[in-house]
Amino acid sequence: MNFEDNYSTHISQQFNEELEQIRTQLLTMGGIVERQVHDAVEALLTGDADLAEKSRRTDQQTNEMELMIDEQCTTIIARRQPAASDLRLITAISKATSDLERIGDEASRICRHAIDLADEGTGQRGYQEVRHIGTLVREMVKDVLTAFARSDTELAYRVAKQDKAVDQEYRTAMRSLITYMMEDPRAISSSLNVIWVLRSLERIGDHACNMAEHLVYLVSGTDVRHASLKTMKAAVEQGDDSPAE
Amino acid sequence: MTSEAKTHAIDISAMQRDNRILRLEDETCTLQVKDLRLSYGEKEALHGIDMTIPKNRVTAFIGPSGCGKSTLLRCFNRMNDLVDSCNITGQILMDDQNIYDRSVDVAELRRRVGMVFQKPNPFPKSIYENVAYGLRIQGIKKKRVIDDTVEWALRSAALWDEVKDRLHESALGMSGGQQQRLVIARTIAVKPEVLLLDEPASALDPISTLKIEELIHELKKDFTIVIVTHNMQQAARVSDYTAFMYMGDLIEFGVTDTLFTNPSKKQTEDYITGRYG
Repeated sequence: MNFEDNYSTHISQQFNEELEQIRTQLLTMGGIVERQVHDAVEALLTGDADLAEKSRRTDQQTNEMELMIDEQCTTIIARRQPAASDLRLITAISKATSDLERIGDEASRICRHAIDLADEGTGQRGYQEVRHIGTLVREMVKDVLTAFARSDTELAYRVAKQDKAVDQEYRTAMRSLITYMMEDPRAISSSLNVIWVLRSLERIGDHACNMAEHLVYLVSGTDVRHASLKTMKAAVEQGDDSPAE
Repeated sequence: MTSEAKTHAIDISAMQRDNRILRLEDETCTLQVKDLRLSYGEKEALHGIDMTIPKNRVTAFIGPSGCGKSTLLRCFNRMNDLVDSCNITGQILMDDQNIYDRSVDVAELRRRVGMVFQKPNPFPKSIYENVAYGLRIQGIKKKRVIDDTVEWALRSAALWDEVKDRLHESALGMSGGQQQRLVIARTIAVKPEVLLLDEPASALDPISTLKIEELIHELKKDFTIVIVTHNMQQAARVSDYTAFMYMGDLIEFGVTDTLFTNPSKKQTEDYITGRYG
């Protein structure tokens, strides 16, 4: 079954439009959040407090979009009583929206630390790790949104796989920063800010991974939350091999 | 493991039990259909159906008009025998006996497999006599036995409180929803094993429909229920198992929860999501 075309084949044209609309809105919200994450990391790395402040204000938009998409999901459930893939689409979008909103919150947090660090004007210890993990995480957010747009579960699987790499990088960076703080207690304050930033980036990776899991559920019907990568891979392959006859 | 963790684990398994995950292979079979083919004259309406109807469960048949769901339902108590041009091959086993065997007493079969139709069809008699009718046909004469059974059947059909003070009034004065519950009471009074419901709520208003659905839920403790419905949400609400039929074929048969969230066949998916032209 081609999932991309799957939302335009109902007898009710209005229902087609409603489903297409929430899908489009999810991707629009995703675009805003992707920009938030990009700006937050850039603001931190370049010490640009203005950009950080601007990005933080965008979070209001993300919150409003979450409310709007959720309301539409509720309305569709009440009016259409969706079943099967339509029902999975509604639940997946509702959950993905929630994850996107949380990614926006984490980006806001990074901006707050970026402003603090810019004010302090201290050294850039840990920035290389932020740059590296930031790049990985931004890729994850971009890829998971592309995966949603194309119903591409293979790409969703790669996002989940990348989350493991991010977790590994995060642990390494933490060890390095802790060592640094022990060596130079005067750097504790700024290092803590960097640690919180890394923590937020790691959380953004987790949310992107959650979204990847929602997409696999949407396409294959298998709930892969809290499951191993192997299980997820199996669900992805099963979805590819046996399209509903 | 700490005692706190233990308690947590017990709670979760209790919740999982409450969610009662059904599996067809765990069920006791009431009716078994084997390669059932039915034709009206030259036209074959059922093309070799194989399925089992699980005991004390609600099984729903869904599908577009003309798919054969009502025809299949009517096979379970040989209602199709009344159609001249109807020809049936294959088997339907009930207690290991083919209900189409020559030796089967059709009247007794219809007592064991009762049926309720789309339109309520009470007899032009009193409420009491409607329910007592089947018992009298069976030759039961003791008033005490009939009284008790009428009360039991009306209570089981969630109608007793509404009619207990006017048992001897005409059944035709009741509302449509009440009449349909009366017909269900009349059917269960003779203690059938299987209850066939052919669109039992399609002529009723939403509240009466909900009462019938609630009744179905209660009755499955004592009876095996097979329901044909055009209302997919109703099938999703009331049934444990659902069979999707299309043009005389059984396309998919499985646990209702799975069929409505993740059907395995595209035809099922298209039908339940409103994609059929």
